[in-house]
Amino acid sequence: MASFEKISVKNLTKSFGNADGGRTTIFENITFELDSGAILRLSGASGSGKTTFMNVMSGLIKPDSGSVFFGNTDITRLKESEKDRFRAENIGYIFQTFNLLSPFSVIENVYAPLAFAGKLSGNYKDKALESLNKVGMKELAAKKPYHLSVGQKQRVAAARVLFADPPLVFADEPTASLDRNSSELVKNTLLELNKNGTTLVLTSHDTIFDDIKPDIDFNLETGVLS
Amino acid sequence: MKYAFIFKAVMHSISHRKFSVFTSIFAISAAFAFLAAIGCISFGLAATAVNSSLAFPLVVGPSGASDTTLVMSTLFNTDKPAGTLDYEVAEKLEKDERVSAVFPIARSDSYMGVPITGVESAYINEISKGFWDIDPMIDEKDIFGGKNSDCAVIGAKAAMRYDMSVWDTFFGSHGTVGDEDAHVHDFKYKVCAILKPLNGPEDFAIFTSLKSVWEIHKHGHHHHHHHEDAEDEEHDHEHHEAEHEEHEHHHHEAEHEEHGHHHEHAEEEEHSSEGKITAVLVKTKNPVFTAALEREYSENGLTSATDTGRTVRKLMSYMNKAEEAAGFFSYGTLFLVMILVFVTILSSINERKREMALMRTLGIGKLPISLMIFLELFFISVFGIVVGTLGGHLLLAFCKPALDFELGINLEPFFFTGIELHGMIWTMIAAFVLSLAAMGKIYRMNLVEEIAKE
Repeated sequence: MASFEKISVKNLTKSFGNADGGRTTIFENITFELDSGAILRLSGASGSGKTTFMNVMSGLIKPDSGSVFFGNTDITRLKESEKDRFRAENIGYIFQTFNLLSPFSVIENVYAPLAFAGKLSGNYKDKALESLNKVGMKELAAKKPYHLSVGQKQRVAAARVLFADPPLVFADEPTASLDRNSSELVKNTLLELNKNGTTLVLTSHDTIFDDIKPDIDFNLETGVLS
Repeated sequence: MKYAFIFKAVMHSISHRKFSVFTSIFAISAAFAFLAAIGCISFGLAATAVNSSLAFPLVVGPSGASDTTLVMSTLFNTDKPAGTLDYEVAEKLEKDERVSAVFPIARSDSYMGVPITGVESAYINEISKGFWDIDPMIDEKDIFGGKNSDCAVIGAKAAMRYDMSVWDTFFGSHGTVGDEDAHVHDFKYKVCAILKPLNGPEDFAIFTSLKSVWEIHKHGHHHHHHHEDAEDEEHDHEHHEAEHEEHEHHHHEAEHEEHGHHHEHAEEEEHSSEGKITAVLVKTKNPVFTAALEREYSENGLTSATDTGRTVRKLMSYMNKAEEAAGFFSYGTLFLVMILVFVTILSSINERKREMALMRTLGIGKLPISLMIFLELFFISVFGIVVGTLGGHLLLAFCKPALDFELGINLEPFFFTGIELHGMIWTMIAAFVLSLAAMGKIYRMNLVEEIAKE
């Protein structure tokens, strides 16, 4: 796992253009620091901009202004190709839906990001199977995503994060529409990663995460950081 | 590994859009199959024409006949002869040291639209590649010899179309194919042999002896006119009369009197056609002699002559223009097809936006994703070209017997023509440019932001 001591978000602002020619501000002048291994919880109603904040933080969407430092690296200043490489090496994702790439099998989905980045090591298949085993998906390693249920897809996404062991994980409603067992499995995976030093950025309305005490809680609806 | 993943993604995308991919490939393939057909058929026609011109380098016909008429009415059987000339012309040519063989022919009649041509046995020996069937009593090297002047040798296609067999009999109609004033002769032909297919105009022809042609026209024969407009016939007869007066009129009149034939029809021919032919096909010993003979027999005021090679080349150049026009039509179709493929790919990008956005999120760069779109369009184009070209040629090979027979050409189904090569080059260029354009569109898109806006 690569690492950076802290994540510094400085004066981050993002707005989108409206159909009537005006602009809607999603968040404005957000500044905070997150230590390595900490948990940031993003809260707020649906449509308040939690996913947009994650996308800006990870360099997928450019902010209107402000910067996001991972250690000394300002991701907002990187070239596209450098951002791609940075994400592949440092960031893992688990989404509510649409986690897997349909052209590839379950096991290929686990190692695809690092394969594209050219960062696979010699025993990557064994390691990928081990990750799948941890989330109870080893038996389905050769299946294509369309054979899987939503819960199984979430678990494969969790295995992908375990395999890459990134210093930062974004989990965007990772247990929505999952049964209790699958939710527990995904939650435990995230906690295991966090225990090993992974920084966690989480959005969830699921009460299963209520017992987790975040280091920072950022309510996008009110704009309050606590 | 990275490129294996890209390839896998491309193949997955192609296999999961079966209908649009199939439609795209089919459209490209159809255009290329069409190009293959144009190329091979026009090459086959050209080869057949060239072979015919090589077989008989010189054609001598009646005075005033154009080069094209001489060739078309003799080698291709597709035009009316321009008149007649004396058999002595053939005899004179035969004695000429520059000539290796002469084949006098007399065309005037037809049967059910099939031209009947009076020839000598030597002509049949020259063109024949054997017989499907032959009367066992006939000497196949001298088919019209002895008392066999009523013999008819039938081309393969004509025999099949009219279900003609050896020992069948039929009556010819006076007037060449296409004449409106056709009338049926009393002269009965007997089928003596059926030629094997020659993949040329000879397949749709009937050959009989020169003697029989002369016999029919000498007798003035019974015939039942169907025509309303006798202008053509009158014209021909005037022409014949003029020639007769100059050369043989008295001789023929004497014959008429001797034979004492009764003419039952009001419009019976007033002269004998004995000794008249419509052309002489000449084999010369070398091209220099061909040129010299052509000049001599064109300038004597009694005949006209043409170098068949030169005339065929002239005809070919017209045909090439038709081929070019068909080619341009195909290129235009191909261009539209490529635009269609491009638009299909672009619309599929919208369907796959989420997946591409996920790829970007997972750190898969813009370049590999754009490369996937580029390869997808390029593969479809190349696959279409390969399938179309191979399929077109295989289809031609499969249809070769029927096409050879129907078109009267010797088709080379696996001959790769320039028109196809040009089509390939332009399609590859178009595919490359359009693939780059699609790639550029994806490269410029911020997929995640677009989805965020939605």
